Amino acid sequence: MNGPVISVRGLRKVYKVHERETGLGATMRSLVRRRFKEVVAVDGIDLAIDSGEVVGFLGPNGAGKTTTLKMLSGLLYPTAGEAKVLGHIPWQREDTYLRRMALLMGNRTQLVWDIPAADSFLVLKEIFRIDDPTYRRRLDELVELLELQPLIHKPVRQLSLGERMKVEFAAGLLHGPDVVFLDEPTLGLDVSMQSRIRTFVKELNRRSGATILLTSHYMDDIVALTKRVVVIHHGRILYDGALADLAERMAPYKLVVATLRDGAADTDLSVYGDVVSRDGGRVRLQVPRALAAERTARIIGDLGTALADLTLEDPAIEEVIDRVFSGESVGEKVAVA
Amino acid sequence: MTLVPIYRALLLAGFQQAAQYRVQSLLWMLFAIIRPVIFLAAWVAVATAQGGSIAGYSVGDFAAYYVCLTFVSQLAMAWNSHEFEWEVNQGRLSPKLLRPLHPLHYSVVDNIIFKLNTLPVLGLILVAISLSFGARYATQPWHVVAFVPSIILAAALLFMFNWVIASLAFWATRMRTANTLFQRASFVFAGQIAPISLMPVWLQAMSFGLPFWYMQGAPTEILKGSVTVEQALLIMAGQSLWLVVTYVAFRWIWRRGLRAYQAVGA
Repeated sequence: MNGPVISVRGLRKVYKVHERETGLGATMRSLVRRRFKEVVAVDGIDLAIDSGEVVGFLGPNGAGKTTTLKMLSGLLYPTAGEAKVLGHIPWQREDTYLRRMALLMGNRTQLVWDIPAADSFLVLKEIFRIDDPTYRRRLDELVELLELQPLIHKPVRQLSLGERMKVEFAAGLLHGPDVVFLDEPTLGLDVSMQSRIRTFVKELNRRSGATILLTSHYMDDIVALTKRVVVIHHGRILYDGALADLAERMAPYKLVVATLRDGAADTDLSVYGDVVSRDGGRVRLQVPRALAAERTARIIGDLGTALADLTLEDPAIEEVIDRVFSGESVGEKVAVA
Repeated sequence: MTLVPIYRALLLAGFQQAAQYRVQSLLWMLFAIIRPVIFLAAWVAVATAQGGSIAGYSVGDFAAYYVCLTFVSQLAMAWNSHEFEWEVNQGRLSPKLLRPLHPLHYSVVDNIIFKLNTLPVLGLILVAISLSFGARYATQPWHVVAFVPSIILAAALLFMFNWVIASLAFWATRMRTANTLFQRASFVFAGQIAPISLMPVWLQAMSFGLPFWYMQGAPTEILKGSVTVEQALLIMAGQSLWLVVTYVAFRWIWRRGLRAYQAVGA
């Protein structure tokens, strides 16, 4: 297919929420006249994602990530704007679109609880009209990748959360979607299960070439799986570009980590930058990005042999994101990759 | 493309699931037949006190009517308006909307499974009631033949009507009131409280004009053998008309409902 697999222009979603104060009086008044408040969940976003890309969608709770995924998967009608996924308008929910797309949401079940997953898979096989050889091949592949063999013949309600998530993944991907929307796929899972899911998603992208748009609160997910991130806040895209460039673009500072020798551990370094933390002789300083080289050189020159080690680092990605979301950093959208 | 393989797979999975809830299914069925049995007992008591009949209805006629009504009610039963509210509010609808199959089909399958599971026991109970109350049927073979399309139309009509009410859950968080209103209307107009011919003329006229009687009372009258060929054909015409109206209404509401759907909890 030529052009992006997912293209979005000016997509906007406004929820109308019933608003009422507490108390009997307010309750009575709301019976006569209901007050509604408009909540802008997604505020005119533009996006273009090419075939085979894995894109991380970052944002705090309520930023508009899930609402965007729901619109792109066809669950929600937008208030305004346009979107095309695989050449389809998602909210028209044509069968030909639904057969090529999957939305997988952490902690949400689509399997029948009282019967083994293998039986639910057979239902999905017919609903998605998957032919026998393709079904067997895909199932074998998913069973191998997700280590499902001991799980699929047990009733779903007897599975642990992590086991159920793996089985849910298989159910959602049996039809071999070309575009996969993953909403918090590792939510509530332990560290080892999170790691397995990450490996699986990576392998899925490598083997099938599926385009993946992923939301997660866990930076580890994003770092492990994506090269490109889209940062969304208050329904607007703040950044769309390489994960590696995110810190440079969005954090106007760097971190100097100086380790002082025993005799000089108490030396005051605040003249070189803002002291972020001090742990014995190890001092972390925040310095303006543009002055980082000059400040580093000054520290080396001034402290000489009192300095045991010195490193210059970009702030941790979590820190950058945290600053963006708490409104400390640049407010304008940064150039698209 | 044909829906047969999909229905086969859904039925298979559904029967496996229902096998774990057999007792629950039977309890629901017993719960549903309590009301007509109470009405039967009440009318029998009144008829007996009045010398054996009321307006031409003998004890045996009442027994036949309520046995047929119970059978029809069970065969035409639909409950998706109760379940749908929960599905919408808990986000259980979303996975269904993401599959290339209308959510209505899952309800059809659930409906069939419940009825097939409970029918044998229901049959035994109804035979026992017939015998103990001395039910008097005027059913001719053609009545049984006419009953088949009539009960299918009644079940389809009640099912679609339920979906119309269910679809209102896209806008309203609580649907209990709409459901109760529907049940109360059925109580009076569908022939549950009494055979419609015992009602005042103006109420009979209203019942013929509304959809409720066509869902339960009308096929009951056919099965009991109390209608002529012309009346049976008129009943089926009325059922077909209401089915078309209800289906068109459902399609209209559903399309708008999907636009309003907020996919909460999912």
